[in-house]
Amino acid sequence: MAYPDYMRRSIEVVEETRDSRIGKEFPRMTPEEREEVLREYHPDYREGAKRRLRIGPNKGDLMPHEVADLLEAHPLVTPEEIDLSDIYYDVDVLVIGGGGAGLSAALLATESGVERDRVLLVTKLRLGDSNSKMSQGGIQAADGPDDSPVLHFLDVMGGGHFANDPDLVEVLVKEAPDVIRWHEELGVIYDKNPDGSMVLASGGGTCRRRMHSCKDYTGLEITRVLMDEFRNREIPLAEFTSAVELITDDRGAVAGAVLYNMETEEYYVARAKATILATGGYGRLHIQGFETTNHYGATGDGIVLAYHVGARLRDLDATQYHPTGAAYPEQIVGQLCTEKLRTHGAQPVNRDGELFVHPLEPRDVEAAAIIRECYGRGKGIVTPTGMRGVWLDTPLIDIIHGEGTIERRFAAMLRQYNRFGIDIRKEPILVFPTLHYQNGGVAINVRAETSVPGLFAAGEVSGGVHGKNRLMGNSQLELYVFGRRAGRYAAEYARKTRLGRLTLDHVLRYERWLKEAGIETNRRAPILLPEYRGERVLTHRIRLF
Amino acid sequence: MGEERSTVTIYVMGKAYEVPASLTIMKAMEYIGYRFVRGAGCRAGFCGACATLYRKKGSYKLEAALACQKVVEDGMYIATIPFAPAEKRTYDINKLRPTPNVLLEYYPEIARCLSCNTCTKACPQDLQVMDYVQAAIRGDIEEVARLSFDCLSCGLCAMRCPAEIVPYNVAQLARRLYAKYLAKTSEHLMRRLKEIEEGKFDEELKRLKGLSREELKELYDKREIRV
Amino acid sequence: MRFAYYPGCTLKTTARNYEDSALASARALGMELLELPRWNCCGTVHALAKDDVMHYLAPIRVLVRVEDMNREGILEGNYRLVTLCAMCYNTLKRANGVVKEDPDRMRKLHDIMEREQPYEGKVEVLHLLELLREMGFEKVAERVERPLTGLRVAPYYGCLLLRPRGFGIDNPDSPRVMEDLIRALGGEVVEFPYRARCCGSYHTVERKDIVAEAAYKILSQAREMGAEIVALACPLCSFNLSERQDEVEREFPGFRKIPVVYFTQLMALAFGLGEDVCGLDQNHVDPRPLLRSKSLI
Repeated sequence: MAYPDYMRRSIEVVEETRDSRIGKEFPRMTPEEREEVLREYHPDYREGAKRRLRIGPNKGDLMPHEVADLLEAHPLVTPEEIDLSDIYYDVDVLVIGGGGAGLSAALLATESGVERDRVLLVTKLRLGDSNSKMSQGGIQAADGPDDSPVLHFLDVMGGGHFANDPDLVEVLVKEAPDVIRWHEELGVIYDKNPDGSMVLASGGGTCRRRMHSCKDYTGLEITRVLMDEFRNREIPLAEFTSAVELITDDRGAVAGAVLYNMETEEYYVARAKATILATGGYGRLHIQGFETTNHYGATGDGIVLAYHVGARLRDLDATQYHPTGAAYPEQIVGQLCTEKLRTHGAQPVNRDGELFVHPLEPRDVEAAAIIRECYGRGKGIVTPTGMRGVWLDTPLIDIIHGEGTIERRFAAMLRQYNRFGIDIRKEPILVFPTLHYQNGGVAINVRAETSVPGLFAAGEVSGGVHGKNRLMGNSQLELYVFGRRAGRYAAEYARKTRLGRLTLDHVLRYERWLKEAGIETNRRAPILLPEYRGERVLTHRIRLF
Repeated sequence: MGEERSTVTIYVMGKAYEVPASLTIMKAMEYIGYRFVRGAGCRAGFCGACATLYRKKGSYKLEAALACQKVVEDGMYIATIPFAPAEKRTYDINKLRPTPNVLLEYYPEIARCLSCNTCTKACPQDLQVMDYVQAAIRGDIEEVARLSFDCLSCGLCAMRCPAEIVPYNVAQLARRLYAKYLAKTSEHLMRRLKEIEEGKFDEELKRLKGLSREELKELYDKREIRV
Repeated sequence: MRFAYYPGCTLKTTARNYEDSALASARALGMELLELPRWNCCGTVHALAKDDVMHYLAPIRVLVRVEDMNREGILEGNYRLVTLCAMCYNTLKRANGVVKEDPDRMRKLHDIMEREQPYEGKVEVLHLLELLREMGFEKVAERVERPLTGLRVAPYYGCLLLRPRGFGIDNPDSPRVMEDLIRALGGEVVEFPYRARCCGSYHTVERKDIVAEAAYKILSQAREMGAEIVALACPLCSFNLSERQDEVEREFPGFRKIPVVYFTQLMALAFGLGEDVCGLDQNHVDPRPLLRSKSLI
């Protein structure tokens, strides 16, 4: 799958200018220039990409059509289909989702006074299948000698355009070092210097080096350790089982969920005193036709379930596009090319081998500049399948830091491209922004409680921690800080709770909202899995211009 | 390889289909009309959900790959392996010690290794699987951790092992033991934990939380960047 | 001089004192033993049955690693592989001999190892004792700082260093390499008839009684001939003749325990490399009271 001839010719131009670019930095944009490129080229700022939600507690909020479509869809199940008296699982704490947040929540629930077999974790794929596992770059924690949680706080707030919930951010930064300690006690191998100190790297928008990593398999390493611990404790687990609707009791508190066996297509009723949403984000909705870095199950189920019971959402107008997703070869289009490549010296260059943007602008600005180069200035490369992209000049990394750097620090990236006959140590890679992260979500407080009693949320499904824009390494951190809190406080809540009669009345209410808003649609949600059958599997066409 | 063709014929569980030649096995199956419930995960080579065995027409050789990372080839007989029946031992990591025999104690079957190296050849991550099994036999926990670090637990090594070893579960135990008992502790992390426990940053954080957006923005813009 | 060195699994676990003392002693003699960067079990746990191909894979792959070291420039044109464990020595040496003699078997092995580096047959398997003999025991004697004066040592070979004929390191009927070494170190050699008798080997797992009896015969004979300490070159012999003395003591009243050490421990001691390197605290029957009484430590 090596590059076709016409792309090779452009690579030759890139090679010609390489020497002259070493040590050269394209100037950072002024605030005005940033605003302009964002306004004109960032997908979030695009006219017509969003609409105002017509129902529910967030009525009037702007969000992408693809998200609004889900929230303005009919619930997947109707109350008549479900016999709520036939309780299949009866537990204290139900955890929905098997990624980093769900695993942490389940572990902490069992440590907080809930009997092991009074916890249930359900996940619609396998345990651990999640975006958590795919994280490459790292996890932030202000434990460096010249760093402090106060500086971390400032970075998170500034990165989020000050729209974050400061109480959540305080908890995030203060518990970060403890998360690292917890991981190490469980047996996570962090990158360390010979004296035992942590290898700390910088990231976009951080004022200190505070990125902790496990090579470029950070998420994989942490997730598999949590999975192993989860299995050692023999906590009840139902894989390939999705939650399709929450259940409330007659007081309006969440009291479990309607589960759906993805294989046998049967419904089960799970009654739970406390329910934790840890369902992740919505990358697989392919907002505006964008490819995504996200895993197969990232279909935004959690915000749909929460909204059905009337939980308040927030910041869903802001979607994160990672500036550098793979644009070639076709087989890996949209997959992540970690920010760490640019922090190590790889420069974005256009088809003529020219620099056109500073490599470490904030993620949204960097992404917009790449889109401008491809679509506004026509200086991108068009792939055989119609994707556009610019070069990310990865060979610079070994030139700057010495041979072997890529092999040592970017094992996953090197392997990924090698599989398709591209050696990133010798050839640049073609990149284009890719849908990466759901910045907002279900609003929570520091106890991971949503606005509806009995319902907790943690991880990407939740909103408030990152405001309008998340920084690299804070999503991994959030998983464990708020996953643990969700487990602990859900256990505490469950101890004090006596459930009332189970109902699905909120489904009827939701149908009423739809009707009152005059929404007529055949759509049903949650969608559980994306639809790729037939021609749909071929590259998505970006609906930008 | 012959000249490039725009489509190829693949056999999914024995049934022939014509698919675009540029697709991965996973996308080719979706193109055909399969909707994965099992056998698809991250779709980016990080999770090991899509372990697949295939044989090319006319070849005796059984090959292994991740469906999301392997491009279809003409005449491929494809069988997906969405689940590996692997035995994982349970243990309390806090009660173990990194002794030379602990891996053998929990996974005595590693002593059955014949050094046939089939596991290594089945690994879609190109890891030296047999080498780490051998390191496990001799109790070299650090070496097992190092060699197995990039493992995705896809299950292919376990499915191919004639000695019926599940290498990745052994490796998981070794990595946890290494991190918990053998890796050096980070002094700066311990210091920071103590400072946080003593409330060193509480007052300052409280003050920041009380600031207006403009005041906070000013502090943010003025903060010293030392990276 | 640098040599490829194959430790074997036991030397990394229960026989650390063997490896530590051997590496330090070799270094003291100007030999650097470089552990193979990649290695697997020598294959001894699988029988070397005549018609079996599969079981040759492990030893042959170890030999390929020696050729790898030369290919990668870690060694230059040195294909000699040094071993310590008698079991590993025997397995590797025999496998090497068999495949070199039998191109048909080699071809079959390469068929099974497909896509791996083939074995070119360049390697020579050695035991450290052979290397010492080659260097000359007078050289060893020159390096001695603290001669083992007055220590009566019985060298024990067991089976695998000497048999089968043609694969051993010395004449199986009257070996002398360890005897010569001990003399070079300044010790007194106690020769005894059972020095090449089997220690009971893997019977130690299921039939402790067989091993206890073998150990009793070997050790009490050494004692009767005047030995104060036994020196050997195999971790399994060591286990059977040391750990099993507890059973021997129970089964055979009147038996007096006798320390059993690796020959490399005596070498390190005589070279004055320090007690730490010798690892005498790891020997099951503590040799230190004896050595102290002789003012050797």
